[in-house]
Amino acid sequence: MRIELQSGITLQSGTFNAVIAPERVIISALNSHADLQRFLFLFVCGNYSRILSSISRTSANFEVRRAFTAHQLFTIVKEAGHTIVFVEHDPTMFDGAETMIMPVSAALRDAGREALVILYTPSMDRPFSALARFADRIFQITPAGDPSCHRHRSARPYPPGGLLPPAQTTLEGS
Amino acid sequence: MWILDSVPRGGVDLWYKDGTVKKVHHEYDPPFYLHLPDPHPHHEMIEALESEYRSEECTFTTIFGDRAGYKVFAGRTVAEAIEQQTQYEAQLFNVDVRIDQRFMAERRIFPCCAEQESRFSPDLTCDLRQMEIRIRDNPARSSVCSDIDVVYGRTERLHGAERDVLADLFALVTSCDPDVILMPDADAWMQKLQKQARACGLVLPFSRTGKYRTMDARSYWSYGRVEHKEAALIPDGRILIDTAQSFVYRDGGLAGVLMAARLSGLSPNLASRFTPGTLISGYEVYEAVTRGIAVPFRKSDAEKVRRFAELRAADRGGMMFQPAPGVYEDVDEIDFTSLYPSIIVQSNLSPETIDHPERAGFLPAVLDPLLGLRIRTKQAKKQDPRYAGIDSILKWMLVTCFGYTGYKNAKFGRIEVHEGITGRSRDILLRTKDIAETMGFNVLHGIVDCLWVKGSPVGALKDCVEQATRLLTEVEHFDWIVFLPQNDGSGSYSHYYGRLADGSVKVRGIAARRHDTPEYIRSMQRDMLAVMSGAAAIADLLAVKDRVSAIYRHAVQELPHAAVSALAVNRRISRLTYAHRCIEGAAVNAYRTNGVSIVPGMKISYVVRDARKYQVDPAWDAGSFDCSYYRGLLEKAWKEISYAFTPGNTCSTEGGAGSSIV
Repeated sequence: MRIELQSGITLQSGTFNAVIAPERVIISALNSHADLQRFLFLFVCGNYSRILSSISRTSANFEVRRAFTAHQLFTIVKEAGHTIVFVEHDPTMFDGAETMIMPVSAALRDAGREALVILYTPSMDRPFSALARFADRIFQITPAGDPSCHRHRSARPYPPGGLLPPAQTTLEGS
Repeated sequence: MWILDSVPRGGVDLWYKDGTVKKVHHEYDPPFYLHLPDPHPHHEMIEALESEYRSEECTFTTIFGDRAGYKVFAGRTVAEAIEQQTQYEAQLFNVDVRIDQRFMAERRIFPCCAEQESRFSPDLTCDLRQMEIRIRDNPARSSVCSDIDVVYGRTERLHGAERDVLADLFALVTSCDPDVILMPDADAWMQKLQKQARACGLVLPFSRTGKYRTMDARSYWSYGRVEHKEAALIPDGRILIDTAQSFVYRDGGLAGVLMAARLSGLSPNLASRFTPGTLISGYEVYEAVTRGIAVPFRKSDAEKVRRFAELRAADRGGMMFQPAPGVYEDVDEIDFTSLYPSIIVQSNLSPETIDHPERAGFLPAVLDPLLGLRIRTKQAKKQDPRYAGIDSILKWMLVTCFGYTGYKNAKFGRIEVHEGITGRSRDILLRTKDIAETMGFNVLHGIVDCLWVKGSPVGALKDCVEQATRLLTEVEHFDWIVFLPQNDGSGSYSHYYGRLADGSVKVRGIAARRHDTPEYIRSMQRDMLAVMSGAAAIADLLAVKDRVSAIYRHAVQELPHAAVSALAVNRRISRLTYAHRCIEGAAVNAYRTNGVSIVPGMKISYVVRDARKYQVDPAWDAGSFDCSYYRGLLEKAWKEISYAFTPGNTCSTEGGAGSSIV
């Protein structure tokens, strides 16, 4: 089972992927693949989802669980038995619960041994960087022609041995 | 005996007021509870807990039923270590309950209540010696107190060299020995006073033991906006209220603070510094402990798995009926009393009843007496305005008890309960609309828990609605009411004003009501509304049109001569950096330039010197203002009023409301 995020970028089952991308990219990826309806899909978000209301999924296989705290997120990820687990990152869950970042990250990695786990954010923040430490792959998709993003890339986004794994590749969407 | 203060310090110190004030120390070192779904892999840890600390096997009660586990006589650090060691399998309870609150709850004693009084009585008997300290200097700019008013029966002004002023102030506090000190910006001043006292070789006299507890400064989100709380120094054995920053004091006065302390089992010092949400949470925790229910440390019980379609159907807010903008005559507002908490109680909504609706829920059980108290206080307020403060605090606590069911830090919340409440409220409002329309009423507007209707007899409608819903309602009659338009011309949900039957004017959402409106503009709109309140009917409104227009013209004419201080805009800032140039960003920079450190949630006060160039001065430093900018604000405020006089806006009858969900 695989999801094509954009041309040439695929996410495969049995991996934990951290994705930084504009909302429209991820919404399009989730809406345009009809075959995703065949798989048991768990959408996890916080109190306010940026993308849930834009997802046009009617399949009974598409399930949702919301977490308001890092402990709830941990429980949800531990209990998930779905083929695809999509976590919309909410940094506020980790306010005052920074100690939960490592256990949640480890739980995402463990879930990614069986399922396709996607941790998604439209923009990078500190908790996301820490959660992404255990990710098998990290994708950053930036809109072509976005001058701020070009500046960002050329300014070397993540220091060596810094917040993201050194093997990380920054990709540009078309 | 009347408990004035409680302090957790090597046990619990309770301060009793019985003519004199005395402290009684109680040894108290309570355990927390530990439940392990599968204890066998953790036997070494359990043995270590027994030998290192003290732990005993036990059974304890949660809202979901009894749990077998352990009492562990240790603190939070050990609890957190257990969590980590068990990979977050351990379920912990009573770890973060305030020790003094727990002590009182276990003994069913509480602050601010005489022995013969009920905790759920709206009456408060207390004989507290009060002192008010008003420091005239600006706490944001000055660290020196050189000019102070002290009010204790009479007013004394202390003015002069800093050391002399402080020595006099401290001597007054010591000699008067007040039980309650009311002090605007107390939390901002106390740290500075402590430093100054040290520098001058004086002893800060506010605590009756000389010791102070500290609360850290923090910024936090509340109802969609950032708030900021100053760090606080809290004295022992004496109530110190920051009258400028305390929401509870501002809305409920001293009686509101004392009632909040009595209900939540928290010291009045804390009750005055907490939000209504924290107070309702404190109340629920106190009730849980008195009922022998363990309070969960972590909120790890997540929402159950939902189908997408099911979630879309359930996750909607309150019902709104959009009004057709216009001026209406003889309109009644029918308002449900404490609708959401009443739904919780009536429908037995609680985290544990979602899966077991046959059980008596914890939330309904604890909210029922609070709801009863609110209803009695609301009645009492009509006869005696002294109950208004207590009523206001009860109202806020009950309002937040709904939001708290879906809040991440709620100890006894669950999102399904939140959705259940809004779902039922939508049904209730729709049913009420149907009843009204069946009885021939025209429904003009509706917001979550109230409807505006035109027709008669409204008494019969009230009876029918109460009978059908088994909920209490209140009716307010408007001689006329103005529903204002939004920018796109459709009716605004929240911007309206109208004349009530008693001749007063009720306003919502307009300049006179907004916190950030400069006083000059607010005062103009208030004067206009005062004139309009003399109009008992729409026809009479037209008769006062010229007088109201004259107020506007006068305000515009006098604007260049207005006091600069009357044009200060007061705003709570939500951020420190702004992507685009804006007035608020300029105000933040102006504060910084003046050496004031800014944090999100802080209130700032500024005067716009040149709006086109984004030049802004802090209110204390402003010498001039941008006339054209403020003329624009005056015009905006005038438009809200002149709408009532515009030909064609009068709606004689049918202005049916369209429905939507927010």
